Amino acid sequence: MINFEEELKKFHPSLEIEEATDAIYNQDMTDMADLLVNMIKEQRVVEQQMM
Amino acid sequence: MLCYNCGANLTEHDFCTNCGAEVGVYKKIMSSANLFYNEGLDRANVRDLTGAITSLRQCIKMNKNHVDARNLLGLVYFEMGEYVAALSEWVISKNLRPSKNIADDYLNMMQSNQSRLDIISQTIKKYNQALSYCYQGSYDLAIIQLKKVVSLNPKHVQGRQLLALLYINAEQWDEARKELERCRKIDINNTTTLRYLKECDSALDIEEPLAAPPKKKSLAETITYHRGNETIIQPLNARETKISNVVFNIIIGIAIGIAVACLLILPARISAANDEKDAKIKEFAEQVDDKNSTINSLEQEKNSLQSKAEKLETELATYTGEGGTISSMDSLLNAAMAYLSNPDNTTAVAEYLDQIDSGFVDTSTETFRELYIMLRNKIGATVGSSYYENGMHAYQNENYDEAITNLTKAFEYDNTNVDALFNLANSYRKAGDKVNAIANYQTLVDSFPDTEFATRAQSFLNELVVD
Repeated sequence: MINFEEELKKFHPSLEIEEATDAIYNQDMTDMADLLVNMIKEQRVVEQQMM
Repeated sequence: MLCYNCGANLTEHDFCTNCGAEVGVYKKIMSSANLFYNEGLDRANVRDLTGAITSLRQCIKMNKNHVDARNLLGLVYFEMGEYVAALSEWVISKNLRPSKNIADDYLNMMQSNQSRLDIISQTIKKYNQALSYCYQGSYDLAIIQLKKVVSLNPKHVQGRQLLALLYINAEQWDEARKELERCRKIDINNTTTLRYLKECDSALDIEEPLAAPPKKKSLAETITYHRGNETIIQPLNARETKISNVVFNIIIGIAIGIAVACLLILPARISAANDEKDAKIKEFAEQVDDKNSTINSLEQEKNSLQSKAEKLETELATYTGEGGTISSMDSLLNAAMAYLSNPDNTTAVAEYLDQIDSGFVDTSTETFRELYIMLRNKIGATVGSSYYENGMHAYQNENYDEAITNLTKAFEYDNTNVDALFNLANSYRKAGDKVNAIANYQTLVDSFPDTEFATRAQSFLNELVVD
């Protein structure tokens, strides 16, 4: 049985055209490739410190 | 595929042949991104838009620079009526690859057509308004708004789903089912749509109809015989038709026809009339809704105009009112005119100068202030002594109110007249106004220290403070 109130909470207001700029700027642009490159760089720094 | 470290083209090796960086994991991530993109494309091709969004988002999480995935994701969002999300993806894609990018065409298509942009904006606003009505519990108004949304954009999946939810809440299962079927045509594998559909089906108790096995006529129910070369098959219970039977059947047929008309056609007509009435009610409700919004905007406009008018009236009052700019200018000009006509007529000049509010002088222009001070200085000594004499006469006659008025003026016109200030303070004291008496004695003590008046003033001051 569907709970109307609970279902209603799942619907959210759409962003308006004027808010598109904010939506673009607020996007999290970090991907797995970035994470990998950061990890490799950190590892290099640690290795250099060890030497 | 390019090396993340130096940007050189990568080969089949797990290291960059140019800089030697380890690229094995990096290549796997890029391959996974491509895999998700292909999956997204496959899903989009079969209209599994929700699935396509999931896959394409995964692809972008792996590789944010995947331009094709962003373009396709934008298209999928656009198809589902999520315009801002679509625009965002295309704009980012355009930034990643400024030339030879299909996102450019999509953005031009959106931006070149102002009416399309207006429709998109209206659709979003109406959807948000409908959602707001839902939160407020005005479900009828929400349904009206959502119908407008889906008429503006028939592919607005969320709008249709919300409409279906409202129908489900109102137990209008058929209407809800229609909306959900339309949703399923746009996005075949949307879990929300499927869940609501299941709810509708269970409420309507829809089951697959069982196919009835075709009946075979038993050979035993017929009689077969041969006449010449023909084989005649005659039903066992066949009777010969009689005229009376025919008439009876016709009467029965007419009766059944009338009954059918009453049972089927009449309710259909009533239902059609009701539908028409409902449509009119909805139309009126929409008109009322539009009118309400117009009234609200006009009221806001009226309020802002009213506040502007009040502000302007206040400003005007500062110019035209008593003590206002124009009145003060007039008084100063009259004072100047009176002085130029007869410099000895100091009383007239003083009367005009007294009409000018001292607070206004402080905030007025420099020229105004200079002329005012010059006139006051010209007549100050004469007028001050005149006021002083009148004040002292009133003081001696114990008419302290008049004494206060005149001595105040005397000290205003000649602020070196310590005698006037002392007698002003005395007048206040004798009139029983302790506060002003103390204030004036204090002024005297502060302004004219080391004088006999200051000593006397201090002793009165001590007495008043002790009291």
